[in-house]
Amino acid sequence: MPMTDNSAAKTGAATEGARARDRLALLTADNASVPLPAGVQAVTAILLAALLIALPWLGLGYRFLSIAITTLYTAIGLYGLGLQFGQAGIMSVGHAALMGVGAYASAILSVQLGLGFWTSLPFAMALSAIVGGVIGLPTLRVGGQHYIIITFCFCALFVIVLTNGGTFTGSATGLDVGSVTPLPGINFDKLSNNYYLVLAALFLALAATYLIGISRYGRTLRAIRENEQLARSVGINVDLHKLGVLMVSGLFAGLAGVLQLYYLRHISPTLFGAFPSLYLALMVMLGGARYLYGPLIGAVIVNFLPEVLNLDPVDSRIAYGVCLLLVILLLPGGVAAGIKNIYCALAGGFDRQGGGLNGRA
Amino acid sequence: MRQLGLGLTMAAAGLAMALQTARADEELPIGVIAAQSGSFVSAGNTIVGAANLAAQQINDAGGIKVGDKTYKIKLYIRDNRTDVNVSIAAARELVNDIGVKAIWGTETHDFSVSMAKITGPAKVLQFSGNSSLGAVLDDKAVADDGWLHYTFQSEPQEWQRSGSTAKGVLSLLTSQLKSPPKHSVVFVGNDATGQYLSSHYVKALEAEGQKVDLVQYPPDTTDFSPLLTRIKGMKPDIVHFWYNGDSTLTAFPQALKLGVAPSYFLFGVDPGIYQERSLKADVPVTLSCVPVCWGSSPFPEVKQYFEKYFGLGAAKGPQSSVSLLYYDYFFWYAKALEKVGKIDDPDAVVAELLKSDYKGVVSPVPLVFNKHHQVTFATEVCMVEPNTSDQFKCAVEQPPAAPPPGDNGG
Repeated sequence: MPMTDNSAAKTGAATEGARARDRLALLTADNASVPLPAGVQAVTAILLAALLIALPWLGLGYRFLSIAITTLYTAIGLYGLGLQFGQAGIMSVGHAALMGVGAYASAILSVQLGLGFWTSLPFAMALSAIVGGVIGLPTLRVGGQHYIIITFCFCALFVIVLTNGGTFTGSATGLDVGSVTPLPGINFDKLSNNYYLVLAALFLALAATYLIGISRYGRTLRAIRENEQLARSVGINVDLHKLGVLMVSGLFAGLAGVLQLYYLRHISPTLFGAFPSLYLALMVMLGGARYLYGPLIGAVIVNFLPEVLNLDPVDSRIAYGVCLLLVILLLPGGVAAGIKNIYCALAGGFDRQGGGLNGRA
Repeated sequence: MRQLGLGLTMAAAGLAMALQTARADEELPIGVIAAQSGSFVSAGNTIVGAANLAAQQINDAGGIKVGDKTYKIKLYIRDNRTDVNVSIAAARELVNDIGVKAIWGTETHDFSVSMAKITGPAKVLQFSGNSSLGAVLDDKAVADDGWLHYTFQSEPQEWQRSGSTAKGVLSLLTSQLKSPPKHSVVFVGNDATGQYLSSHYVKALEAEGQKVDLVQYPPDTTDFSPLLTRIKGMKPDIVHFWYNGDSTLTAFPQALKLGVAPSYFLFGVDPGIYQERSLKADVPVTLSCVPVCWGSSPFPEVKQYFEKYFGLGAAKGPQSSVSLLYYDYFFWYAKALEKVGKIDDPDAVVAELLKSDYKGVVSPVPLVFNKHHQVTFATEVCMVEPNTSDQFKCAVEQPPAAPPPGDNGG
């Protein structure tokens, strides 16, 4: 029975749709071309977790532990940035300001209403998420470098508002808070307990990132990252997903900001300005935004490199610049991609794409 | 038998010498946290310079006699890289890993406050030369169980410094201007220190009868001409380049070129720097130091101090005199330890510091801590003769007895 023109057109459209979906599947599968075996992933996770848990017991000293805490809460913020940049392809150079929203929300709730760490945390995270979404609204119309400029402007404006916020924001002098409210039997004034608190938050961030990465939602984000038009054409609500991931990123940033606040117990606008934001962007690119451990690796490099090599701030910036150039030229997927490639080379395979995905590295 | 006696005598002598050496080797660990790199390096290096000089002098003089032991100061100097996270890590290391008894530093309010949250619970004394600490040093904070009980502000309260400076500037300039100055513009960096300092200085000038306008510039500004042009339109009698000195050295030549005002005041620019840079103005210019000038001090003790300070290799810079916010307190602390007779009783040392005084280099009047752990001393102001770079006339006006109207003193 001959097909009518209408049914032929339908069949043609269906074929086109199938092709588009296949193409999208190929695009989003690129980084997972050489997934590490499940056993390797599990061993890596267990070893890393064991190392991080054992760190306070290794006798490395309080200085080391202090820098480790800084590294961990920075990494939590980076996981948010990693999601929006690594998974959805939306870069920001104002992420420190988003952490600042969380930190200042918590500090203001503490100063004005007497709310402690645990009670202010959900509000601070929620506010960061909302602000993340609001800043993300322009991504519906602009992208790439234009959005980057918008985030930079937000960061500058945020610092100006804080600096001129009077007693409400503590102006340029900033705000002070007390210790983390103790849990039964756990006093967070003890540095190792503070470390474990931040570590627990990091594990949550890691788990959330992993679950997002392997979920349908993660695949949708990657589809948007690889080809927004194509993703839209197969019925993905791109706008909603973009705002969604920016809000999730805001949640992570809020958590990191509150942890930073209660670690320093004093915050001021300079902590959330342009330089800290650029450093966050640098860290996530160095480590590898698309990899599960990339943000953590980036945070470790930037926080510990000056300690290990005894670099002053000027030398550090030069070193970071050189590292970034090397990573862009040699390891587009970041240091995590390099580590994975070394493993694959040793194990007989080689991921030339340099972009292992979602917990596969 | 005789040989045995000789042997025993020698052994006893050897033991006595060993004990003597061991007693002489007692160390008093003291921490210094300062920016030896990064954007605050010019201030940070002065803390290290002062600490090295003071420790060397105390040790060379035989150390600190506490009870029946003599202690030599052992400095543990840590570079905070102008980074609050590194400051915190350094404070943790000094307090918990090394076990210092006191910490000197650091150069900025934010870092000092965060450090105090580590030193306080550990009962480690902290001497910080930030006048902005006045905003947090109150009755509750310095109480026995307060978080700043072990923190001392080694710079005068800001209303005192502002009052002393304003009086000095106006007394020197009034004689040089055709008519007494009435309108001042305070030009200041819009950051934590700038905001805090200018809030007091404006009140101090108003208390001296000045009409004051405040103009703030963003930190890291390099082209000041738009703001200076605006200030020129205000027709001020004096433009006060308030905090900070480094920015002032960039802004002042631009102001001279634009002819902004008939007289100027440059805060934190030492006469020595003015001379070294061959700055010259055809109008009267006053300068103030933090707290006394190395380039032109009327006090012989200050001159001797800076000879020794620079003799140890410290660089001559706009903020070299900041070192004097830290130097005297080593001797005062040593004196308090000797009086208490124990190095492990920080509460007694705090009490002793609060009830004692110390005649140091920074001030001809003995230093005393008030109930909020703050000292009082005057600020030196110098005036440069017009069209010269090296002709200075200096004055030291004592701080006012009370904060001016509208200044809550905090």
